[in-house]
Amino acid sequence: MAVVAGKGGVGSSTVAAAFALAAAREGADVLFVAVDGRPGMGPLLGGRELDANDRILRRLKGAGQVRGRTIPADQAFGDYLELKGVGGMLRRAASAASLPMIAAATPGLEHLLVLGKIKELEREGAADLIIVDAPPAGHAAPFLRSATGLSDVVQSGPVRDQAVEVDAMLRDPARCLAMIVALPEETPVTEAIGLADELRGEIGLGLLPFVVNSCWSDRPGLAKSPAMAARSHKVTLTPAAKQALASSAGFGRERLERQRHQIDRIRTELGLPMARLPRLATPRLTIHDLGTLADALAEPLLEPGP
Amino acid sequence: MSDLDSFAGPIADAALIVTCGPGGVGKTTTAAALGVAAARAGRRVVVVTVDPARRLADALGLEQGAAADAPHRVTNLPDDTGDGELWALMLDAASTFDRLVREQTASAKQADAILENPVYRAISGSLAGAQEYMAIERLHQLHTSGEWDLVIVDTPPSRHAIDLLEAPDRLIGFLSHPVYRTLTVGQRAFAKVTNAAASMFLWAVRRLAGPQIVEDTVEFFRSLANIEPGLRQRAEEVSVLLRSDDATFVVVSSPRAEAIGEAEHLIGALRDGDFPFAGVVVNLIHPMPEPLTPADRAALADLEDGPLADHVAWHDELTELATSEREEIMALADLAEDVAVVELPLMPVDVHDVEGLVGLAEQLTGDR
Repeated sequence: MAVVAGKGGVGSSTVAAAFALAAAREGADVLFVAVDGRPGMGPLLGGRELDANDRILRRLKGAGQVRGRTIPADQAFGDYLELKGVGGMLRRAASAASLPMIAAATPGLEHLLVLGKIKELEREGAADLIIVDAPPAGHAAPFLRSATGLSDVVQSGPVRDQAVEVDAMLRDPARCLAMIVALPEETPVTEAIGLADELRGEIGLGLLPFVVNSCWSDRPGLAKSPAMAARSHKVTLTPAAKQALASSAGFGRERLERQRHQIDRIRTELGLPMARLPRLATPRLTIHDLGTLADALAEPLLEPGP
Repeated sequence: MSDLDSFAGPIADAALIVTCGPGGVGKTTTAAALGVAAARAGRRVVVVTVDPARRLADALGLEQGAAADAPHRVTNLPDDTGDGELWALMLDAASTFDRLVREQTASAKQADAILENPVYRAISGSLAGAQEYMAIERLHQLHTSGEWDLVIVDTPPSRHAIDLLEAPDRLIGFLSHPVYRTLTVGQRAFAKVTNAAASMFLWAVRRLAGPQIVEDTVEFFRSLANIEPGLRQRAEEVSVLLRSDDATFVVVSSPRAEAIGEAEHLIGALRDGDFPFAGVVVNLIHPMPEPLTPADRAALADLEDGPLADHVAWHDELTELATSEREEIMALADLAEDVAVVELPLMPVDVHDVEGLVGLAEQLTGDR
């Protein structure tokens, strides 16, 4: 199982989808699980909008496939009770209607139920790889921390057992790893480094290569002025062309310099391998764009780890 | 400059401004810049931030930890600020909830009974929608204190930014839940709770989470019953306040398609809910390079790899991105045609000091 996490707005759902595609290309049967999914992830992967049913989104010729589903907390709750042989009265009492009340009394319970369901899927070998698109913004760490946090409040009963089992899965790098996504900008990188420390330290998760999303391609030639650059091509620029190119170059130099600086920070402060995904000019992604991202992602993932 | 290109109106007149929008678009920075603009307009203003980036928090003089929950004066504004004052604080959902409980209980003893309950301690920060509700609650506390000309509240980043608007109604909904009602209305001891739904609920909690949590839960709901009428009334007051002429909402977005989609959704919800809406700030817009003439473009086609090819490729890439961003902004501007739309360029560095906020403030008021 792999959890993909990042602050809101960094594209972690898209990266999770590209990861699913990259793994399927290598022949894996992949299950994409959206926890608090943004709409459109199913269609982006080539299938229908995701719901609680496990459906095939895409079959790759001669390779693996991508399946997808969501896990609503109330359904996870029902499944869990059934698994524990809890029947009749208790199941009715604990039905969807009273879940909000029970969840209010036991904080983190909804997250734990969802993680518990994912743990069951992992244990029964529902797929070669389960990719979890974690909740966004500040919610990724609380989501993953729910197992540890609950054991402080709840000291016995099935919820406690569930928390212990989920905690064991998260701490076992042979079963579960996390992928952190950031943009090559100061604030997102600072937040991602904080998230990495939290997941590694507090929760004990192993980390996959760090993903830097939306990187501009490096353009070393921008260091020269347009006129100087033209000279090395033995071309003469018109004054208008010189001015047009200069109007973008200043911004570009600054931007690319900042990007290099942030990537250096990730390298020195985290010491993780890194995948750089290209910035795509299209505002709305297609399955073709997802393939481009999967290519960039596959490179460091397929290399043997350090 | 027309009123539709500036927030000078609400900055001068509003008593409450709520900034909302998707995550990662500079919402907190915009809230702080609106605060700077209002202080420079001579007003006494307090900005309530949620989870600000470290450097912005430093710029506002907010320290990490509980101390930041109290308003803190920002002292390094430029000299021409005059009589205006800017204060800032960082929202702490749990201590706002504590304050609410203290205010709503008849005695300190009653308040302690709730505040010391382990279930309360566990849920006060994480109850569904608690952060959103507490942002609004804090706004109400500051507004009714009479100490401020203007209260600006930055809202928690949320994929479902709409949660904020529904938070008071959600709290009322929670308090109206049948299980909650039977647990709190009956004054019998727990052992005698005979209502089927309530006893099943308690049984389920006991089976799932162990017996010790059951007593805490019942105790918690019982003590909450004492403050319920107050909470309910407060939720209704907040709901009225947010729709009054004193208040207004500012939606902050970036020109990325996903952010614009969320901003459009939010504008629809503000309009459907009859919330006053001042306008949209589109932040982080890439600059549009000057175009290459068709003749120059033809002359520069098919270059071999090298520095000039880098220049041309970069020019094309930036032009394409800037063009698609402007299309997204046009779509949003159509939707917000009768309110202010202010477009702010992507800055070479993230705003991290008061000087940067002053620059933004000038753009938000149309002074630059």
